Amino acid sequence: MIRSLLAWLDNRTGCNDLIHEALYEKVPGGARWRYVWGSTLVFTFVLQMITGIFLWTAYSPSAQTAWESVYYIQEVMFLGKIVRGMHHFAAQAMVVLLAIHLIQVIIDGAYKAPREINFWLGLILMKIILGLSLTGYLLPWDQKGYYATQVSTKIMGATPVIGAQLQEVVQGGAQYNHHTLTRFFAMHAGILPGLLIGFLALHLYVFRRHGLTVHQPKKKPDTTFWPDQVLKDGVACLGVLAVVLLFAIFKGAELSPPADAAKAYAAARPEWYFLFLFRFLKFEAVEHLGLAFGAIYVPGALMGILFMMPLTAKMKVGHRFNVAFTWLVTFGIVVLTTLAFYEDANNEDHQAAIAEAERDAHRIKELASRPTMIPVEGAVSLLREDPFTQGPVLFAKYCASCHRYNGHNGRGIVLREKDANKNTIISIPEATDLANFGSRDWMKAIITDYGNHFAPLKNAQWYPGADDAEFNLDDSEMASASEEYAEAFTSPENANDLNALVEALVAMRGWKGDKESIDARLVERGQQILDGEPLADGTEISSCTDCHDTIGSDFEFTGEGAGYPDLAEYGSAKWLKAFISDPGSDQFYGAKNHMPAYADKMNAKDLDLLVRWMTGDYHETHVEDYPSRVSEVFGVANEAAATPAE
Amino acid sequence: MSENENIPPDADETPPAENVEVSCSADSSTENDPSIGTPRRNFVVEMMAAGVGALVGILPAAIGGLFFLDPLLRKKAGGEGDGFIETDLVLDALPEDGTPIRFTVRDDLINAWNKFPDQPIGSAWLRRIQDQVLAFNTVCPHLGCAVEHRPSEGDFYCPCHTSAFDLDGKPLNVIPPRAMDTLEAEVRDGGRIWLKYQEFRGATSEKVPV
Repeated sequence: MIRSLLAWLDNRTGCNDLIHEALYEKVPGGARWRYVWGSTLVFTFVLQMITGIFLWTAYSPSAQTAWESVYYIQEVMFLGKIVRGMHHFAAQAMVVLLAIHLIQVIIDGAYKAPREINFWLGLILMKIILGLSLTGYLLPWDQKGYYATQVSTKIMGATPVIGAQLQEVVQGGAQYNHHTLTRFFAMHAGILPGLLIGFLALHLYVFRRHGLTVHQPKKKPDTTFWPDQVLKDGVACLGVLAVVLLFAIFKGAELSPPADAAKAYAAARPEWYFLFLFRFLKFEAVEHLGLAFGAIYVPGALMGILFMMPLTAKMKVGHRFNVAFTWLVTFGIVVLTTLAFYEDANNEDHQAAIAEAERDAHRIKELASRPTMIPVEGAVSLLREDPFTQGPVLFAKYCASCHRYNGHNGRGIVLREKDANKNTIISIPEATDLANFGSRDWMKAIITDYGNHFAPLKNAQWYPGADDAEFNLDDSEMASASEEYAEAFTSPENANDLNALVEALVAMRGWKGDKESIDARLVERGQQILDGEPLADGTEISSCTDCHDTIGSDFEFTGEGAGYPDLAEYGSAKWLKAFISDPGSDQFYGAKNHMPAYADKMNAKDLDLLVRWMTGDYHETHVEDYPSRVSEVFGVANEAAATPAE
Repeated sequence: MSENENIPPDADETPPAENVEVSCSADSSTENDPSIGTPRRNFVVEMMAAGVGALVGILPAAIGGLFFLDPLLRKKAGGEGDGFIETDLVLDALPEDGTPIRFTVRDDLINAWNKFPDQPIGSAWLRRIQDQVLAFNTVCPHLGCAVEHRPSEGDFYCPCHTSAFDLDGKPLNVIPPRAMDTLEAEVRDGGRIWLKYQEFRGATSEKVPV
């Protein structure tokens, strides 16, 4: 029954001959492992087709939905992480296999007559595959792909004569926009795979016409493709699949934060297999000769030599030259790639940029997975409006020229500068470290250790030394009060009273979560001390409210004051905003102030983000804080503060 | 690679080692029969080759297929609460004589990764019956057009295929397969109407929520 059906089918289609033709290709000298590379390439391409089409069913190419749909595939959909991971790592496997295949073809002389055409077809296939990886890199519309692809399209723009027009056509406009994605997607999922299938068919046809390039000497009798070589090919493909799956499961494809044209991405790098070109372009001598030289002429010349190989091989030492050339270029690529990795690994700024991108990538996933999900403006707006990630950036931009945050600039970087002898040294902070602003430690330090708490000020350029006209910490009333009472407050008998006073001060800030964490009984006792009641051991202290008479009342920014900083709702967002806007107001430090007023330097939105970050007013996070750099920085700072500069 | 016993004694007589050309023309390739080696060994190799080949093909396709079945396989996030939506209507806003009022239901609309707060998600006919609210989904149980209220006829009427219902939702002709779909509605504290908005499968005699 089945037999007659097959016979009928064969009679109508001739499929038996076709199958026979496909399977019983001669393999002279027996099946060999070294013949598997071409098959593994075909297999990875099929793998890319399968995973790619399934990803297509969930991907949405537009600037507002590309990252979001990839996030959804990766983090929400069933097996999405595996499917995307397979596609991601199989693409890289393909490039590796391509390199192996090409090198083998050259050293085995399989490019020589009569296989010239097939060699050229192979080179075209290589170009198509590189085009596929380039276009695919942009599709997630994340910071990494966005900025790396910007470099590629800028290189395209450096093409002589037609560069600018070419770039604009490819991008679908002068800048990246929705159409950049739709165009790249059409190329990645339509045009390039279509071309690949066509050229692959020709490549295989011509390959069959000339047969396998047999590696000498032959060790075994002739066999056929089926089943001996098929088994070897299949095992090799299984190996590739296993590696790809292991990477997909245990490493997973990266998804960096959503693309943001307004936020530079310092960690931008192309995919690792283009790193050699990236590094090559960074040589000063190459840069000197212009982008077109390094990115177009040199690779073009190398490709030209490669392309001419079947013809040069006819010359006397042609083949030897070609093999030597191949190894030389391979060696160069390996060296440049290693160099690029090595330099990046030892570049603190690059590592910090990567760390920050990873933080942002974690954070955006936290924000996107909230019940409020992703707004229609896209995920990038979640990050832009997130105090936890924007605060550090704003701190580094506006505050870190004087202040530090746990010793770093808010973004985990220790600031350095060149001294008179051109040695790189750690920049000395000129104002207080603000990492624990408004905390219990902060309040305690103000009460018992005011002088040291604000000691970094002594490093400031303006610090007067003995000039009474300027603010001098050593003459500060608050510093002397703090010094006077430090002993009483730190005695064990008064430990509870110190805690009570701290609690009463902390209670003024009204931060998120304070309702649960503030001890009301302690606050009550603290209020009494604020108002001048003696401490537990009977020590009389002058009341805080003698000078800071608004403590305990609501803060209102009037700009008027009596020469003492207004501490109503001290540490609250409201107070902090007013203070940052105009610290020199009479309501705060008045004439003693040296901090710039930010009312005109920072817009209201940035100020709000900064203050919300400092006061912990943001969606809860599991992203860890940047490690503290206090020990590195403030060792140097305290030393410097002890001996004020002239 | 160590199966040297299969090499026939005349192995060295195969084409000259120097010449790499094996088959320059297409018609020379199919002459050979795959009868090299013993039949038994060939069978084992064939089975292994077929097995490995099938595995590398089926595994990626199966993973992709399961991914495609995500809508069926993924655990849906359980909606919080009892599904009732607080409307901005109070009971007194409905006519006491039971005249139907068309009410646009608003709720947060979830669209894959997006959430659009407070969107119109559908509409309902609301009738006051003493201190209770009788609510119908406006979608016709026949083929999903919107059911209108005809004050002149005192009925509900669907302009698409002329389904008609009385004001209690009972069919007045044979076109609709079932009565209009009632929605759970409650008057909660303060006289505010709460509505559990649901949609139902069309063209069946059973009322099945989708």
